[in-house]
Order: sequence, then C-alpha cells, then structure tokens
Amino acid sequence: MTQSQTLELNTWSRGLRWVTSAVTLHQNLADYVEPLAQMIWPGWQASSWRARVLEVRPEQADVYTLVLRPSASWKGFLAGQYIELSAEKNGARAIRCFSISSSPDHYRRTGLIELTIREQQGGLITPWLKQAFASGGGVNISAAKGEFLWPQGDKPLLMIAGGSGITPFRSMLQEAAARSSTRAVHLMYYARDAHSWLFHEEFQKLMLSFPGLTLSFMDSDVQGFISAQHLHDFCPDFVTREVMICGPSAMIGMARDICAGAGIVSDHIHFEYFGAAPLDMPEAADGNYVVSFEREGKAVATDSDAPQTLLDVAEANGLKPVSGCRMGVCHQCICQKKSGVVFNTQTGRYSDTGPGEIQLCVSVASSDVILDL
Amino acid sequence: MTKTATPSAETLNAFERELNDVRDDFMSRIGQADADYIRKVIRTQRLLELSGRLVMVLGFVHPLWWVAGVIMLGLAKILDNMEIGHNVMHGQYDWMNDPNISSRRFEWENAGDGNSWKRYHNHEHHTYTNIIGKDRDYGYGMLRLSDDLPWRPKNLWQFISYINLSLLFQWGVAYHEVAAERIFVGKNKRRKDSSLPISRRQLRNDFLNKAGKTIFRDYIFWPLVCFPVFWWVFFGNLAANIIRNLWTSTIIFCGHFTEEAQTFREEDCINETRGQWYFRQILGSSNLEGPRWFHILTGHLSCQVEHHLFPDIPARHYPEMAKRVAEICHRHQIPYNTGSFGHQYFTVVKRVLKYSLPDYFHSRPRAAA
Ligand code: FES
Repeated sequence: MTQSQTLELNTWSRGLRWVTSAVTLHQNLADYVEPLAQMIWPGWQASSWRARVLEVRPEQADVYTLVLRPSASWKGFLAGQYIELSAEKNGARAIRCFSISSSPDHYRRTGLIELTIREQQGGLITPWLKQAFASGGGVNISAAKGEFLWPQGDKPLLMIAGGSGITPFRSMLQEAAARSSTRAVHLMYYARDAHSWLFHEEFQKLMLSFPGLTLSFMDSDVQGFISAQHLHDFCPDFVTREVMICGPSAMIGMARDICAGAGIVSDHIHFEYFGAAPLDMPEAADGNYVVSFEREGKAVATDSDAPQTLLDVAEANGLKPVSGCRMGVCHQCICQKKSGVVFNTQTGRYSDTGPGEIQLCVSVASSDVILDL
Repeated sequence: MTKTATPSAETLNAFERELNDVRDDFMSRIGQADADYIRKVIRTQRLLELSGRLVMVLGFVHPLWWVAGVIMLGLAKILDNMEIGHNVMHGQYDWMNDPNISSRRFEWENAGDGNSWKRYHNHEHHTYTNIIGKDRDYGYGMLRLSDDLPWRPKNLWQFISYINLSLLFQWGVAYHEVAAERIFVGKNKRRKDSSLPISRRQLRNDFLNKAGKTIFRDYIFWPLVCFPVFWWVFFGNLAANIIRNLWTSTIIFCGHFTEEAQTFREEDCINETRGQWYFRQILGSSNLEGPRWFHILTGHLSCQVEHHLFPDIPARHYPEMAKRVAEICHRHQIPYNTGSFGHQYFTVVKRVLKYSLPDYFHSRPRAAA
C-alpha cells in the first residue's frame, strides 16, 4: 500500500469515527446497540464474548474448575494464555483474570474451556463465583491474552509450578500430548502439602501418552520451599533446559534467582504470576502500601500512621490529576484503578480488588494499588 | 428575600448525623435493582429515539405521524439528558463498573460537551450551590434573580432573555463554560480564578467539536438519510429539540430559582462543616411533587433537595429519601421547600419578573428579615 493510500484510509476511518460518535454518541455502533441487543441476548456486550457456565467441578476443598462454553465467535487461544472473566455480582461487574487450564485441542474437540480457580480466603469474587454459578449461568470473557507460551524448538523444558500456578502447564502438557510431542519436559510441582497437588492422577496418566514427560511432585511441608538443591537433586540437567515458572510471586523470585545463579540466560527463563489475577484480598496487613502510578512510572509507599487520600498522595509526588471539589461530590477526580483495594472515606466501603473506577479525593489505599495515572 | 438564620452548632451536628444515616441506609441498598433499572431506562430511550425517527418520516402519509414522531424523539432526548445523562455523569452508577454507564465515558445527546458540563456543574454548582459569584449556574450570567446583584437596565427585558434561554437551552449549556472563560468574546482578560484543568485551546476545540456533531446529527445526517422528506425530518428534529430544551430548562429553573430558594455569600462556605454544607444545599434547592413518570422525566431533579444532599446515590431512591429528609428538616425547624409543579413554576416566573425591576419597586424593609 502506498503512503497516500494509507493516509486516505486513516482519514476515512477517522471520518467514520466522527460520524459514529456524532450520530450515536458512542465510540462505536456496537456500544450504542448493546442495550437493544441485550433484549434478545441478555448480558451481551460489544467488547467481550458470552460464555455459558456448564459445570462447577470441585477439585479440592478450596479449588474448583469452571467449565465454560464460549460463544461460537470467540477466537480461541494458545496453551498458556489467560482470559479476563467478568460476571455481574449484585449489579456490579467484577473482573478477574484466569489462566485456561484445559488445552486448545480439547477446545477444538468439545468447544469447552476450563478455568481452575482457588478460592481466596475472605475473597469477594472467587468464593462467590462457585456458588452463584453452581447451577449454570452466563459470564463474559475477553479474547485470550498472554505471552506465557510453549517455547518454539525442541530444547528440553523445565516447568516449575507452585499451587494453582499449575493451570497454564496443564494446558500446555495436554496439548503437547495431543500433538504427540517428543520433547523432554520435566515438571516440578510444589504444593503446600501432600493433599494439595491438583490433577495428580491425571498427570500420571498423561505420562503414558507423553513419553518425554518427567514429574516431580514436591511437598513443601516436607521438602520446604524451592532451593538450588532441589533442582540439582530432581532435575540434574536443569542448566541445559529452558525454564518456565508460574506460581506465587515469592516463589517466582526465588526460582529466577536460582536459575540465573546457575548461569541460565534470561532469554531462557519465562515466568508468569499465577493468575495475572489480582488477589481477592490485600496481602500486607501492616498498613504501609505501595501506590503505583503506572503511566508516570512511579511507585511510592504510604504511611499507615498518616493516611492520605490518593489525590493527596499523587499531588505530593508531583502529579496533577484532575480534581474539583475534593470532597467526593463532583466526580471530576475519577481515575481508573488497575488493581488493589481502596477504602472510600465517604461511603465507608472497600472497593473490589480488580479494575474499576475510583474517586481519588475520597479514596485511601488499603492494599497495594496500581493507578492509571 | 428572607434568609434563614443558621441553626446552632449542636442542631447542625445532629442534623448532619441524621442525614448521614439516611445516606448510609440507602447506600447499603444499592445493587442489582438499580443496575436493572438504569439499563431499562437506557433501553427505553434507545427504542423511543429510533422509533421516533422512523415514525416522523411517515409524516408524508399523515401529519399526525410526524407529530407522534416528534414527541417520541423529544421524550427520548429528555430521558437521555435527565434520567440517564445527568445522573450517570454524576457518577451515580459508577459502581456498576460498566464502561458505557460510567461518568468518565458517558456522553449525552446535548450540544454541551459532557466534560465541560461535569466541570462547571458537578464541581462549581454542586459545591458552591447558590453562592453568588461562585455558582455560575445561578442565573447563568444573564438573569438577575436576587438582590445580591445590582440592577442593570438590561434586566428590564430579562423575561424575554429567559424565554430565549429556555428555547435554546442546550446551547446555553454548551456555551456556559466557554463564555465564562472568555474564549470567543469578552475582554481578553482571563477569569482570575479559572481552575480549568485543560488548556483554553482544548476547551475551544471540545466546544466546537460537540457543537458540530450536534448540528450534523439533527440537521444534516438524519434529514439526508431520509432524503425525500428532508424538511419533514429537519423540522421534526428542530421541534424535538425545542421540546427537550423547554422541558429541561423549566425543570432546572424550578430547582433553584423558586421564590423561597435562598442565596449565599462566598464567606458562607469557608471552613464549612458537612452539616453546614447540607444546610446550605437544602435552603438553596426546591422540590416538585408529582407522579412517578413525572419524577423520571425530570431525572428526579424534582427531588432537587435530595439530589443536592446525595448527588451520587442513584436518583430513583430520591422520592423515598425525601420523606425522611423532610421529616428531619421539620424536626429541626429547617425550611424544606416543596410544592406542586404548577405552583413552583409560577413562583419562578414571578421571581424572574420581580428582579427585572430595580429594588425600590419591591423592597420591603429588608433589615427585619
Ligand atoms: S474532586 Fe470532586 S469528587 Fe473528587
């Protein structure tokens, strides 16, 4: 395409956008039509896909699997990717990210995907999802996202999983088995005790159809956290492998240090914080939280002894977010919160941990918070 | 005009606590029913708009179709501006986390740019309600509605200005901030206390862009789409806009410019407690009584008092809240201004006329008040 053609196209599409927003007052026609479409397809959204919850399958006491049938127009996924799932709880849309724990092959054959979810203790959404959809229902899902994928080539792999960080690996291993992969893969799977390995039997069966697979089930109760010794003992050739890590952030940190220390180049260390998912509840409890201003690329610690509104915190750090009344009336200071819990001093309510909009002038951080500022 | 004396600090504290209780109580009820409600209103608005535009075209079959279409479109515009736009842009539904129903993204069917409106209305008007000199919604810089402002000869024909403003109300809304910032005309002196968070250039562009879109939609796009009946549609849209303008302007004037609605001075709001703020909001606002459909078409601005006390609680709760607020005011002997639509509007007209004349025509001994 010549440059002038591209230019023409741009002008054309910009003109079209202007007309759309003039006539419908929405950025695109689909958003305008959404309320009407919902009369026929309840819950339909222009920017996501509907999915039916077919089953909530218990895995363990606090872990369950959601079996979903995405609508036919959903674009599919690669093993290791995650989706954003949004569901309406008492009128409010809650959004969480979950890795898909079943394989693309399974999806091609059955049209189903699975999400394996651990209930956060005291969480707002994960325990609720299980109950609310026990007898089915509809949710919305995004297109599949994420770069944590089965590496190209045939270099042997070491997969290190912690807790529910196993989910993307289950997807990859099932897919590899379905494609009769001959690659050498070693999975080291850490769980807090001997009752907590997910898909224990399933993985053992998988070894039959996937001869390159080696399994080490690690019991943190007995063996402790990940250490260099573990790697040497269970996977002696680990330095020659490409490493993939998924689990709690502390574990990822340790595993990365060990691998880097053993001389594995960073190109060969891949990792994903399990569920790119925001947690349901704040982790730190001492009241000192980190507020990150994502666009500014700045992060500051708050002081629990002198709680400040996020507007004050931002201004004290040289940012100039839009504000007006500073008393919670005018909604000028609305800002997108990417994740984290805030306390609204006016309503006395805590926010959800997922993405949402907050009023900076009356919000105080009550967990680490990431803001779109 | 009578000014109500400020009650004792004790009364104000009790008053504040009781109103906070009302707020907390209703806050805890917000949920699915509110989400379902606003979605239903939006659906109704869309259906009315599209069918109104369609039915209007049938005007060439019989003019009554045209009339019906105009009324439907007018209603759709009213719903969009009042029950949906005004309330959504106040953030009443932000908790739903739905990008199409959020104060940050919503854009209404009005010549005024939503962001501009949020700045001067949500901030200035709601924070500094009826403070002469700070609340530019008070008289819109055109009308003299209290003796806080000196009389000027142009006030003599302000009733006609008022009628004009009503007919063109959406353009008044659009031009409001631009006028105050002296973007196009006026001595090239910036407003001293301008708190614009955007550049003047941006303000100008936003204004022109939204105005252009409005003209394009109603007077170019839709008439052209229905080309053989271009003028039917053109004038139909014009008529629908006039219906919307008259209605919204009338309701809004009833909210703060009735006979009893009071005004304040800038000193009044320095170091205000929440209780004092509540108190000022109540004295400066007035309610309208009527059936449920009436409340909905006013965007529940018929409960202006409650709206000013609790601007971000979904408006459908206001009539219920009003009962409790009225009772609390009554108990603390704070005047609570309410009445039928006809009566309240009559007092607005009276007020516009009264202050079009210099004070000595109507002043009674003011000191005694
Ligand atoms: S600045 Fe007005 S609501 Fe935050």
